[in-house]
Amino acid sequence: MIRLIDVHKVYKQGRNEITALDGLSLDIQKGEFVAVMGPSGSGKSTLLHLIGGLDRPTEGEVLVDNRIISQMADDEVTLFRRVKIGFVFQFFNLLPTLTAEENVLLPLILDGRPGSDHEPRVKTLLERVGLAGRRDHLPEELSGGEMQRLAIARALAFNPPILLADEPTGNLDSRSGESILGLMRQINREERCTVVMATHNREAAGYGDRIVQLKDGKIEEESPR
Amino acid sequence: MRLLRFLSWRHLRRHRLRTFLTFLGIVLGVAVIVAIAIVNRTLINSFQQTIELVAGKAVLQVSNGESGVREALYPVIRDTQGVRDAAPAVEGFLPVVGFKGERLFIYGVDFLADFSIREHQFAGAPFGLESALDFIARPDSIALTESLSRRLRISIGSEITLVTSRGALSYTVRALLKEQGTAKVFGGSFALMDLPVAQIAFGKEGKLDIVDLTIEEGEKIEAVRNRIRQRLQGAAEVQRPQERGEQIESLLTSFRLGLFFVSLVALFVGFFLIYNTVSVSVVQRKREIGTLRCLGMMRRNIMALILEESLIIALSASLAGVVAGVFLAQVALLSVGKSVSSLFLQIDLAKGALSLGDFWLALAGGLGISILAALYPAWEATQVTPLENYRQTAWSPRSQGVFRATMAGLLLLLFSPALLFFPAPGLGEVGKFTLGVVALLIFLLGLSFLAPLFVLVWVGFLRRCLSRWSLLSWDEWRLASDGLGRSPMRAGITIATLIISLAAIFTIAAFVHSVRGSLLSWVDQMVTADLIVSSSARTAGPMNVPLREDLAPGIKALPGVQVLDLYRLIRSTYQGRPILIESFSAQASASVRRLPMAEGKGETALRQMAAGEGVIVSESFKSKFGKRLGDTVELPTPSGLARFKIIGVYIDYSSDSGSVLIDRSLYKKIWHDELVDAFDLWLAPGADQQEIIQTIKENYGEKYQLFVSTHRELRDAVVNIMEQSFVVNYAVEIVAVIVAIFSVINTLLASVLDRTREIGVLRAIGATQGQLRRMVMAEAGWIGFLGGVLGLIAGTVMSYHHVVYNTKVLTGWTFQYYYPFGFAFLCLILSVALCLLAGYIPAKQAASIPIVSAIGYE
Repeated sequence: MIRLIDVHKVYKQGRNEITALDGLSLDIQKGEFVAVMGPSGSGKSTLLHLIGGLDRPTEGEVLVDNRIISQMADDEVTLFRRVKIGFVFQFFNLLPTLTAEENVLLPLILDGRPGSDHEPRVKTLLERVGLAGRRDHLPEELSGGEMQRLAIARALAFNPPILLADEPTGNLDSRSGESILGLMRQINREERCTVVMATHNREAAGYGDRIVQLKDGKIEEESPR
Repeated sequence: MRLLRFLSWRHLRRHRLRTFLTFLGIVLGVAVIVAIAIVNRTLINSFQQTIELVAGKAVLQVSNGESGVREALYPVIRDTQGVRDAAPAVEGFLPVVGFKGERLFIYGVDFLADFSIREHQFAGAPFGLESALDFIARPDSIALTESLSRRLRISIGSEITLVTSRGALSYTVRALLKEQGTAKVFGGSFALMDLPVAQIAFGKEGKLDIVDLTIEEGEKIEAVRNRIRQRLQGAAEVQRPQERGEQIESLLTSFRLGLFFVSLVALFVGFFLIYNTVSVSVVQRKREIGTLRCLGMMRRNIMALILEESLIIALSASLAGVVAGVFLAQVALLSVGKSVSSLFLQIDLAKGALSLGDFWLALAGGLGISILAALYPAWEATQVTPLENYRQTAWSPRSQGVFRATMAGLLLLLFSPALLFFPAPGLGEVGKFTLGVVALLIFLLGLSFLAPLFVLVWVGFLRRCLSRWSLLSWDEWRLASDGLGRSPMRAGITIATLIISLAAIFTIAAFVHSVRGSLLSWVDQMVTADLIVSSSARTAGPMNVPLREDLAPGIKALPGVQVLDLYRLIRSTYQGRPILIESFSAQASASVRRLPMAEGKGETALRQMAAGEGVIVSESFKSKFGKRLGDTVELPTPSGLARFKIIGVYIDYSSDSGSVLIDRSLYKKIWHDELVDAFDLWLAPGADQQEIIQTIKENYGEKYQLFVSTHRELRDAVVNIMEQSFVVNYAVEIVAVIVAIFSVINTLLASVLDRTREIGVLRAIGATQGQLRRMVMAEAGWIGFLGGVLGLIAGTVMSYHHVVYNTKVLTGWTFQYYYPFGFAFLCLILSVALCLLAGYIPAKQAASIPIVSAIGYE
């Protein structure tokens, strides 16, 4: 499902070069739940960005669903990302002026379809994440856990085969965190959705089928749960 | 200072484009103020200077406008006790044949008496008594200045032909004047003639324009003045030269106040540009300010920092504005000089120079306005908490400030009409006009403060509509309106700037449109003649040379001419203030003439006027002097004070100082004046207009330098004169448009920067670069639409108030309000189009934001 072949990512910061990924190769099968761990600066987020087509590798290739996304044009990769990949961020990044329902609807609307066509889908997604009763609420009226659930619902709008989560519990209390991880696990199992999650938290990583430990842009250790 | 260097300087450099735009906005505003100050001062100085130069040593002057002083009164004046020297003169402009645009200021003097008052320095051999007698003895003598003789290449002994009331007459140059004293006026376009020769040239036989006086030592000026007044019994006025200057100055009051209004608008627009820039800068730097507060910076230091930043820009921009203003003034003076010469009187405009007062005014204006405009945003900056830099989402002041702004807006809106309904007692025309302008600006400010509320209302309305019409695609437009709703204050500031700019543009445009409409409608009613024949200028006024009546029979006899009437216009005074006296024969043109009336019936009034039962006064006269129908006016005439009953009030836009219309036969009898400014011709049905024009030109054209205007041409000439006088106003329109564009670019750039993370997220969840570009453009479009609609509403109220109230207060004219529908529509389209254009740069920036760095938080 996801394949990274000898991927390098070097950032330039002024005169300095910072190597975020250093010849990393990785295969992730369809329906797998992979937790990526590592200290700050180890390259976890960069790995997710490359898989999600948010950034391009300096060297190497990134294949997602058998397509080389690292070579796609900007609009092509955007459209690919829109339907194939869902993102969950640490700080939720919901649009504060849109209601819960509208936030979930947003990716579908960006696809240019009238909102009314998607009402059943949005309703299902909100029910799925346990926010059916909060559809008309603005993000600021939701708790942290609820906001992250909403972010997950938005990520699932197109029923993408891949879900990328960057520190999804990093901004939540432990109970909310567990609930979010449980939800992601459930989605992974029930919908055969491939999940790649970057986390600092060993307990959170425990929810994955496999843990990939990164250090200095390289895989230090790979271990099944 | 160190903080300024560390933070402000770097911030200003980092936002070079915005800093430059603000700088340019202040430069433009200050330049307009400086230019108008220079123009206003130059106008006044020029009048005073001319009067002082011509007056020479005179301490008193006897004159009676263009009505003149009967020559028979000269001995009476001269022989009054206390008068030492008396010098009679006639004066005026005459065009030079063969030199297009060249007009000479002719001063006709009594050569034997004049040297006691004025020192005329002649070039070459001394100009003694013998030379003077020789000059006088020959009735075609003229003395030109050396510079004029060089410019026209006319030396002593050569001939010069002038257009006089008797047609083109040739004069021989018998002396050259050094450009000293009186000869310095009008850039050397000055000529001396013997008094009787000049009287013939101007058609003022038996009349004097002025008698200059000096008094015996030990005599008091006031005492001598009173003695002369008593002897003249109202047949002329006795004034000090300075008072005469002030009287002429008062002619220009409304013109100068109009310019002042324009500079006030420029200042107001500049104020909002600075307010906008500083506000946006504060919003954008919330986190930076939060960090500074965390690091221990006091609130007052934050305030000082923001104010100092504004001062740095304002100081440099004001200085540049002063320089730009001096250049702008030179351009404006050309146009203003033309307007004043066409509308009021020929003026010898001095070169506009910057005075120390102008410099300080500009500097104080630029700096004061900047500080004032930056004060509120700077205070807002002090309200930023140290926690601001911990916020992870874009700062979202949904309701912050909106309530306060709304309350302030409502208060100002209520206060604005109160100023008009309960004015301070004892206010004059100028005071009421100024109050009217201030009320307008307060109204505008009030509406601008309501802009954030309008943004929220609009976003709410849009949400409801778009969710109801779910079939409509709402993606980019909806997101764009949400963007606005998230920062109603910031969007409100831009919309407020648009409102102000657009309102200023629309008010000026609607005013010009209404004036044009009213003027044309008035010309159509007032001038019904098919052809108007005049000399030297198409319209009766300062450029026109009056002709003698003896041309009339020849013109009347032309085949096809059915009715001929003679029109005369002179400048006179009433209660010491300048007025116009107009006359025509109501009897001769009874069958064809109409008169636009403000009070009374035109036909009845004209009939009464023809019967010599009274005069018809203009509405400006009525309002300036507080007269009513049936009242009596006492006018100074060459025959002494004459009383007339007011039998009607007519609409007259030829002068805002007030006009009195009198029948020609009565006028001739009392004023002893048979001159004609225009021959009005009504043609017989089926007459060939072109053939008659051709015949008049062939018979009289060359000799009298005639203009034969059709009704259409006269209309065009009136519009041209009007357009010319509004040229300076258009400069402000340009400033307003530029400021509006700056503001939109400013706000949208800040909005994009402020929402970097959100834009990153949108890109991450699948928004294409095109979609983001369209979203930001749509936001600009909404701003343009809202600003356009509200600006038009404000402009409509303001222009109506300005046309109907302010103008009436200042000039006494009642203008019809003509709504410029086409221009209003264009404004709306332009507002949206300009905002879309201005949104392009921010839109491009939004689309090119790298996703990773936008959403990155590690």
